Formats: sequence, structure tokens, C-alpha cells
Amino acid sequence: MNCGELSEQYELYALGVLDEPELSELHAHLRRNCEVCAPAVRRAAVRVSMFANLVAETEPPLNLRGRVLASVGIVPKFRWNWMQTWATVAAAVVLALFWVEHLRRERVRDIAFHDAMQQVKQSDAEAVRLKEVLALLSAPETIVRVSQEGAAQPPQGKVFLNPARGVLLLASNLPPAPEGKIYEMWVIPASGNPVPAGLFQTESNGTAVHLQQGPVDLATTGAVAVTLELAGGAPQPTSQPLIVAPLKKG
Amino acid sequence: MTLVPLLLALEFGESDPDLAARIKRRDPQAMADLYDRYGRLAYSLILRIVRDREMAEDLVQETFLRVWTRAQAFDSERGALGPWLLAVARNRAIDYIRSADGRMARSTFEIVEMENPALFANLEREIATSDQARRIREALNKLDPNQRTVIELAYFEGLSQTEMAEKIGQPLGTIKTWVRTALKNLRDELGVAAPA
Repeated sequence: MNCGELSEQYELYALGVLDEPELSELHAHLRRNCEVCAPAVRRAAVRVSMFANLVAETEPPLNLRGRVLASVGIVPKFRWNWMQTWATVAAAVVLALFWVEHLRRERVRDIAFHDAMQQVKQSDAEAVRLKEVLALLSAPETIVRVSQEGAAQPPQGKVFLNPARGVLLLASNLPPAPEGKIYEMWVIPASGNPVPAGLFQTESNGTAVHLQQGPVDLATTGAVAVTLELAGGAPQPTSQPLIVAPLKKG
Repeated sequence: MTLVPLLLALEFGESDPDLAARIKRRDPQAMADLYDRYGRLAYSLILRIVRDREMAEDLVQETFLRVWTRAQAFDSERGALGPWLLAVARNRAIDYIRSADGRMARSTFEIVEMENPALFANLEREIATSDQARRIREALNKLDPNQRTVIELAYFEGLSQTEMAEKIGQPLGTIKTWVRTALKNLRDELGVAAPA
């Protein structure tokens, strides 16, 4: 077909609904960067994009902006300010504890000092973990998958997978594990046995953030799942999964 | 009016080329500005297509992430940033519903090409003006109901002409006539000359 015969197909192509054989004909023109069809298709693509203005306006949820920015590694400033404030207060508490302990008996001072150091260690560990989580979320190659879409109130999970950094699970509606039990995450290959991906406990409100670091092969991974296991975990799942996030959408 | 954010972006404030240049420089504030300018329209468009709020949020996130990661290939001087972002948003949503409905996915070439930043480059300045957006909206509203239906089925549901014929129970030839007439009317209203 010549360019004139294809001129009515440009918008259809831009809409993504052009049928054969016109589609192949237009592809051929575009592949050789046809000086008539290529710019005409570009103009058609812009015109078609403006069909978006037919939709009724809907306000997105307030937290979506933060999610979008976090996905490219931008953390809102107020969160850093809050962290800095918290760190300052924690440091002040530690110093105050030191001063008070100087006024107390030797044994009590040692105990309090030990407690303060534990707090500092936990804070450091949390800060490192937060950095790892942000690094995984902000990496462009990270993909996200969701479990149990549309269900009412079952355990739900959102899984971020990064080939180099690992797997991050954000879970909700997952009640704290009973005494003697613990949650275990699994990376399930498309074929083969599930691979243990760490143990975790949930918060009292049913949420959990669990990061399993290390390389993960997205090409061979079929799903990420969570089961309830005996404390200490299991080499293979022993119960039905509570959360399953398939890698393949749809 | 959904048109308002796009019109305001085109008429006032920082231009899209300036914003695109800042995105290419990886200025974090540029991403926030991009979301403030197009986030609501992108969310509205995606929600209209997928009709699922949670999925719409995920796809908006995916859309902006894709624009951010592919911005280096975008011509910030002569490209149309808003139309490119909206094309990515629509493409993500259409791919999702086609996959969810078990319909055949589009070819890799098509998907890549429809989101290719180069497709939105080297444009004449007048094409992305607010006047053009307003005229397109008016032209769409002038289409008769059948013509508007097929345009909406194509744009919002990603249906091919064959799929439209099956969905609304009309012969394929009739559908093709409606589509062709609708697009011709749009071109006529916009004063677009067909290439020789």
C-alpha cells in the first residue's frame, strides 16, 4: 500500500486497534522511517492521547502521590525530618540515662547502660533495614505483584521483587501468629520445590514488612507465598498458603 | 472538568519541555511536579479503563515509574510530555484488561512502539496546545452516538474492529464504516489534511 492508502489508518494504529493487513503494511512504512507516515503517526498519537479528556474526573487517593514518588526513590522531606527528630530524642534519652546512672549504684547503672545500648543497636538495625527497603523500592528493575485482589478482608500481600536485591513483602490483615508458630515466606519456582525466604511475625494491627535479601531469578520464579509454620520454620511448607502473589499478572 | 489540568499545564506555569528537561536531570522535585500536573488525569483515565481502584493505583505508579526510567530517550525540546505520559497510562491499563479478559495481547512491537518516547517527538509546536485539546474534545462531542461508541470502545476498552463487531452485534463492515467516518469527522473538525 502507498502512503495515501494508509492515511486513514494512522489514528487506528495509534489507538492500537488496526487490523491486518493494514497493520503490517503500516509497520513496514514505519520501519523504514517513511517520511510521510512516520510524522503523521506521531501527530495521530498525540491527537489520540487527548481522547483522555473524555473521562469524568476522579480524585486519586491522597497516599498515591507518596507511593509514586517512593517508587522512584524520592522520600518526602517530612519523613526525614521525623527520623532526624526521633534520632535526636533517642540520643538525648541515652545521654540522660548515662547521667542518671552515674548517680545510682554500680549494678543499676550497668543494667541501664546495657538497656540503652540495646536501644541504639535496634535503632541502627532499623535504619539499615529501612535503607535496604528503600533501595529495593526505588530500583527501576523492581517489579510489584499483589495477592488476593478484590477479596473482602483476607490476608493480603504486596510483593516487590528485585533480581539483585531480593524480595520485599508488605502484608496486611494477617493476625499475629499464635504462640509456638511463625510466618514463613516462600519463593516458589515455576517448577520445583518452594524455597524458604525467611521467618517473620506481624504487628498487632495485622501488618508486616519482611525483606529477604539476595538475588532472585524472576524468569524462573512463579509466585511468592506465605504459610504459618512451627516456630523455627520449616524446610518445606506444611500448611496451606495464606498469601499467594503470582508473578504473572492476570 | 478533566480538561482543566491539561489546559492549565499548557497555558500557565512551567512548560512541559522545561519539566521534561528536569526529569531527564533526575531532579526529584520534577517527579513531584509531573505527578501534580498529570496524576489526576492519568488516574482518572486508568480507572475509567480498569474500573478497579486498587489496580488503578498500581498502574498509575507503574506509569510514572516507566516515564521516569525512560525519560532519557525523550526529546525534551520538541516532545509532547503530557500526551506521552497519557499514552503510557492508557497502554498499561489496556494491557491489564486485555490480560484479565483473556484476550490476545498486542504484539511486542506494537506495545513498545505505542510507548516509544520517539513517537511523541519532533512535533510541530501547535499540536499540543490547549486550543488543540479543546478542539478535540468539542469534535468528539459532535460525533453521532454510533461513531462515539466505537471510538470509546477502541480507546477505553482497546477493542479491535472485529471485537467491536462481536460486542455490539453489528457487521464488521458497518463497524469499519463508523470508525472510519468518526476519525474522518475528527480530522475534518481539526482541519487535519490527509497526506497525499
